[in-house]
Amino acid sequence: MPQKSYVVEALRRAQLLELLSRGTRLDGRSLNEIRKLEIQTGLIEKANGSAMVSLGNTQVIAGVMIDKGTPFPDTPDKGLLIVGAEVLPMAASYVEAGPPDEKAIELARVVDRGVRESEMIDVSSLVIKEGKFVYAVFVDVNVLNVDGNLFDATNYAVVSALLTAWMPKFVLDGDAVKNTGERMPVPVSKIPVSLTMASISNTLVADPTSEEEAVMDARITLTTDDEGYICAGQKGEPGSLTQEQILTAADWALARGKEVRAAIKEAAKRA
Amino acid sequence: MPEIVRKQVIPGDVIVSGDYRPGSFVERRGNDLIALRIGLAEIVRSDAKVIPLSGIYIPRVEDLIVGKVSNMTGYGWEVDINSCFLGYLPAQFVFGRDFSPATHDLSSRFKIGDLMLAKIEAFDRSRDPQLSIRGPGLGLVPGGELVKISPTKVPRLIGKKGYMIKMIGNLTHCDIKVGQNGLVILDGPSEGVVNAVRAVHMIESEAHLADLTQKVEAFLSGGAVGSGSGSGESQVPATSGE
Amino acid sequence: MEEKRKLIDENGLRTDGRKWDELRPIKMEVGTLQNADGSAYIEFGKNKIMAAVYGPKEMHPKHMLLADRAVLKCRYHMAPFSVDQRKNPAPSRREIEISMVIREALQPALILEDYPRTAIQIYVEVLQSDGGSRVAGITAASLALADAGINMRDLVVGCAVGKVDGKVVLDLNDTEDKEGSGDMPFAFLPNLNQITLLQLDGLFTPDEFKQALEMANQGARKVYQLQREALLKKYFANTTPETTSEEVGE
Repeated sequence: MPQKSYVVEALRRAQLLELLSRGTRLDGRSLNEIRKLEIQTGLIEKANGSAMVSLGNTQVIAGVMIDKGTPFPDTPDKGLLIVGAEVLPMAASYVEAGPPDEKAIELARVVDRGVRESEMIDVSSLVIKEGKFVYAVFVDVNVLNVDGNLFDATNYAVVSALLTAWMPKFVLDGDAVKNTGERMPVPVSKIPVSLTMASISNTLVADPTSEEEAVMDARITLTTDDEGYICAGQKGEPGSLTQEQILTAADWALARGKEVRAAIKEAAKRA
Repeated sequence: MPEIVRKQVIPGDVIVSGDYRPGSFVERRGNDLIALRIGLAEIVRSDAKVIPLSGIYIPRVEDLIVGKVSNMTGYGWEVDINSCFLGYLPAQFVFGRDFSPATHDLSSRFKIGDLMLAKIEAFDRSRDPQLSIRGPGLGLVPGGELVKISPTKVPRLIGKKGYMIKMIGNLTHCDIKVGQNGLVILDGPSEGVVNAVRAVHMIESEAHLADLTQKVEAFLSGGAVGSGSGSGESQVPATSGE
Repeated sequence: MEEKRKLIDENGLRTDGRKWDELRPIKMEVGTLQNADGSAYIEFGKNKIMAAVYGPKEMHPKHMLLADRAVLKCRYHMAPFSVDQRKNPAPSRREIEISMVIREALQPALILEDYPRTAIQIYVEVLQSDGGSRVAGITAASLALADAGINMRDLVVGCAVGKVDGKVVLDLNDTEDKEGSGDMPFAFLPNLNQITLLQLDGLFTPDEFKQALEMANQGARKVYQLQREALLKKYFANTTPETTSEEVGE
């Protein structure tokens, strides 16, 4: 889905920069504050798991579909975990329908790595018969409304959906696989949470809005897990960051990560 | 005062039947007058019209609008006027007849992202709207805060004969420029701007309620932060001819 | 189509407990997306569908614009997680056909001549599908179009009927759609009484066909009442025309 950028009015940009120099933003937030986060899980009964997340006005929905599949030839002892993301054309006026462009692909791959590298799900435990039958876990995210920071909204939705998903219990029946009809939870061992920050005139802000993204020089997403590890990172946009900024980013990612993790757990309980 | 009958309508609703004249967003179907939009239908004497409560801005000649420069071509500026049509300001209208790309630099007057107060000079079904900045107060907007509201709420923000907008400007000591296309620029002391912005949002969300003028007046005179009751500098309501 | 199991039990109740002329539970909300010019969300039984409208807007590509009216575009799409088996996100032939019939169902209601040289784009995204998603999509898209402030002669409202265990029934669910012997999606302009969508699959006798049409008409009218309520709720919540201001007009 190709996306054009949009032009921020000169007045707004001037206002934004002026506020930044005083440590605040257009919507009154402080530099490392995130917007209102709302998470709703289990809303798509036909899917194995689902979550709708709104982060400020950015709104996304994630669905988990789990079935049996064949493993990749080079990893016969691992199940399949495939994360996809699509920015729907309804999400903003400048998004057009079409195959994913580089921004959409970056989004899907960064979120995928955040889940995979953190070992949120141990894919070795998703094997039914090594080399032949494994669980295939598909997570698909649709972005419904864009107002900046698709990375975090998507990450929170994917994680919430997996946390509250169920898997069909498959057993081997001779040479075939049988669905026992029973359900079991997805083996989740940790909750990786990302924080995305934008650098605007050398000032770092967390959870940027569309307007802030339109004037940012660079972007950094860092994902942290329950044990305080930083398990995934991605710098984006054609600008640069200083080492100091990156270290500040890591501090913020760990601190906010804890808060968001608690919110995700809370929402999962309400499922 | 002629009696005004009002009805809440959605597209397809019968407003009234009989010998009435269909006004804006109303169509005659046999004996019935039908609403074509969501809004407030008004029947005054023998006229029936609908005041729509949603819809994007469709330009009309003579409208005053706030536009954002989105591109520069060899001979003028493309201006985003918050509509489905892109506005165009010819360089000749700004530099004069002797304009030539070789000797005149467009960005010396307007750059991409700049806001301008302009007039719809020409517009018809066969071409995009052409803008002009000839007129008092028109041209580059140098400073202030930009607020976007639904264009359908602009008449309410301006008020009968500009009453509402003048009142807000007076009570907040702000200069307020209202574009018919829903873009509003507010300039003045920071507390005044904050209150004026709040008043604008209040009007947008409650445009259809009675006593709104009194409510806004009370908000700005009473509980608002730092509002004064003295007469500050008066401002020019940018209306398209009231 | 042969039916393998009984879809209506001895008490005349269907697989989900409904009677033959009962609609599934329906929920509608207008204005659910911030960026779109108009939007609406609908739940029709287990169907969960988001509709959005952008327009009128600049037409691209320019060489395809029409001098005397807007070009209407529609994209119906199902989320990968919306059906029992994960669906590839790329548009299928089925989605492309449904995009077209939805567009053709909505077009007669829109006064496209009021917006020459522009485009009006409709999006219908099915988040969960359970039989009758196209008519539910049309119903939601109609709300989104009104929300966007496009001049419309009438709303468009849809409802499907079908044949199950030899009986004509209202509003098929997914099971009835798959295992029944007839399916007829229907949409019309309720005030003008003009039918703008009609498709049919299965075996209907002429009498059954007439019965089905009448049932669809009555069912759609009930759905139309819910559309009205949803629109009035967003735009006029808690107000009556009497409390509306005298100053509203220019």
